[in-house]
Amino acid sequence: MFHWLEKNPFFFSVGVFVVIAFAGLVEIVPSFAEAARPIVGLKPYSVLELAGKEVYKKDHCIACHSQLIRPFKAETDRYGQYSVSGEYAYDRPFLWGSKRTGPDLHRIGNYRTTDWHENHMWEPEELVAGSIMPAYKHHFTNIADIETAYAEAVTVKEVFNTPYGDEIKAGEEAWNAYKPQVLEEAKAIAVDMKHPEVHEALKKGEVPEIVALIAYLNRLK
Amino acid sequence: MGTAELQGYASFFMSLFLVVMLYGYILHLYRSEKKGEKDYEKLGRIAIDDEIDSTPVNSSDPKSKENKE
Amino acid sequence: MQSNASLEYDYSVAKLFTYTTILFGFLGMLIGTLIASQLAFPELNYMFGEYGTFSRLRPLHTNIVIFGFTLSGVFATFYYVGQRVLKVSMAESPFLMTIGKIHFWLYFVGALVGVITLAMGFSASKEYAELEWPIDVVIVIVWVLWGVSIFGLIGIRREKALYISLWYYIACFLGIAMLYLFNNMEVPTYFVAGGIGSVMHSVSMYSGTNDALVQWWYGHNAVAFGFTVPIVAMVYYYLPKESGQAVYSYKLSLLSFWGLMFVYLWAGSHHLLWSTVPDWMQTMGSIFSVVLILPSWGSAINMLLTMKGEWNQLTENPLIKFMVLASTFYMLSTLEGPIQAIKSVNAIAHFTDWIPGHVHDGTLGWVSFMIMAALFHMAPRMFKREIFSKKLMETQFWLQTTAVVLYFTSMWIAGITQGMMWRAVDEYGNLMYSFIDTVTVLHPYYAIRALAGLLYLTGFVMFAYNMYKTITASKRLEEEPQFRSPMAA
Repeated sequence: MFHWLEKNPFFFSVGVFVVIAFAGLVEIVPSFAEAARPIVGLKPYSVLELAGKEVYKKDHCIACHSQLIRPFKAETDRYGQYSVSGEYAYDRPFLWGSKRTGPDLHRIGNYRTTDWHENHMWEPEELVAGSIMPAYKHHFTNIADIETAYAEAVTVKEVFNTPYGDEIKAGEEAWNAYKPQVLEEAKAIAVDMKHPEVHEALKKGEVPEIVALIAYLNRLK
Repeated sequence: MGTAELQGYASFFMSLFLVVMLYGYILHLYRSEKKGEKDYEKLGRIAIDDEIDSTPVNSSDPKSKENKE
Repeated sequence: MQSNASLEYDYSVAKLFTYTTILFGFLGMLIGTLIASQLAFPELNYMFGEYGTFSRLRPLHTNIVIFGFTLSGVFATFYYVGQRVLKVSMAESPFLMTIGKIHFWLYFVGALVGVITLAMGFSASKEYAELEWPIDVVIVIVWVLWGVSIFGLIGIRREKALYISLWYYIACFLGIAMLYLFNNMEVPTYFVAGGIGSVMHSVSMYSGTNDALVQWWYGHNAVAFGFTVPIVAMVYYYLPKESGQAVYSYKLSLLSFWGLMFVYLWAGSHHLLWSTVPDWMQTMGSIFSVVLILPSWGSAINMLLTMKGEWNQLTENPLIKFMVLASTFYMLSTLEGPIQAIKSVNAIAHFTDWIPGHVHDGTLGWVSFMIMAALFHMAPRMFKREIFSKKLMETQFWLQTTAVVLYFTSMWIAGITQGMMWRAVDEYGNLMYSFIDTVTVLHPYYAIRALAGLLYLTGFVMFAYNMYKTITASKRLEEEPQFRSPMAA
């Protein structure tokens, strides 16, 4: 049998495939249903928060920040309650990260405020002496793509049954009807912000990236 | 039986099966060489003697040394 | 089959991939050196506006070195080794020749577009799978074309037995195909949401912990099937060929192959120790990671024993030096990995700089060394000229070896320092250090690492120059060298 396998590239490949696929099959597939269940009371991300998550992804915050508090005393003392699976049920993709050049952010919303983030993203060194984090001044001028964030909300609702309200539905018209709600949410956050360009953009009906990002960070609790 | 248990059994028996296969393969390798059916070490020559006109170690041409294999 | 004097191996596709290996290697390492320096000297973040921050550049670095440099190297060596161990020429099949060319150009264009979109900020933000869905589609096509090349060449082979290197190339092909497809399952939002928002955007099919499982099943095994398997394929061909010594034990190579295939995939969950994935899976990840030492060392020791009785070649031939050192680094990093996968060690090591340190043992010491040696070995055969300078090669070797040693020692210290400081408590059980203390303390190690990067990059530039001169200006060879690659002093 082995002899035959060595001489038949096709069946050899099938053999290799079975051996390598098997771990994945046993390990990953069966636990899918259980791990995907949200914890009680978990709300899906708002459209503005999704737009903020896009900023987080676009500038690859996961390169330096994790969102996973491990069950050690040193970690729960520093960051709060350790993370549980159900908290991530609406995270597509997951943003645990693999490197902490900066601190964990999974519960950053519990101990940092809008104005702290605003000042910190503008000039990290001023709030944290010795910080090696770059300033993200372009978040104050770049406009967040809330339309795509809305499209994402529609997609996860339609395809994965994420519990959004009826007003989130496909099409240009539904989006135009929904947009003012996103702007209201953004304005509520900007109340605590001092940079004039942020307010000017909001007046024009645009949401700067920094506002969306802060909405997202405040939500991480 | 819950999924976790099923996973446990599946992984255990698959592992066992593959371990048996691997040991079977080791036996096969040494046995077939001892019986003179096949010389595995000869295959190492494929990398050394790899000119386009050098004689293949295991030729696909039925006329050459198929019987010597 | 009659021997045909006019028939020759056709290296045109291998040559094309050789050029991109050098191009992407330089680009990836340049960015790598820059981001390493940014951690030591944050002012360097502001050279290119929003496109120059560490966070934006880091995925560029990883993607270029993985999918640009390493994959090019894998393809280049496959189109060379594949023909030779099967004893058929691509010139014999116009079909395969065309497929090979399309494979290259589609790959090159896809890679360039990938680089540009990442720099612009289109990203799925899953590590090593950042590219958005339209580029994923291109990558799948490229991969299928490679498959056609592999099995097409096998289909017309003269050598009936498949040499062990080919086993590894086939495993690389299958493994990456499976992993990449499943990890990049995503739904483009534009189409579901009725034509609103960005066309590029997509959401992952999996959420939260599931996504993490699939991602690290991918992340770990992309390393296995991208950084280990094809590089083992290379060492099994180039070391015997360059030294003129057949593999020490062919049987051991076969056993290591199946061992590696079986064990590697189980080890993926060691990236998720102490996370929210089920406990038994974490334990499996730990155990199999340790078992993984066996097949890895099986290959590495086999390589070192191939040189048995021929160790004088190590001093005489810098190419042998590269490959022996690569095998040694392979042993080092395959020992270091399992140590980090032990749960108690992982509690300290995870999230720290020890992890990039470990990765770079493997990538700088093993992957890049092997790919550069392979390219050096192929150059006199493909371009029919001797290697331009042995002296330059020696200098490059020592420069880069120093760089790797500096890199991993500094990251060892940095990682363990950081891991210990995060958990240090005073006599009342309060945390002793605020987070920023654990950052500023790392400055000297980050500076050393940046220096290491610079040294390695310099070595790579020497390599590129040496290759360029070999291709364009070196002495022509009358006939193909059999074993040892000829080089001018």
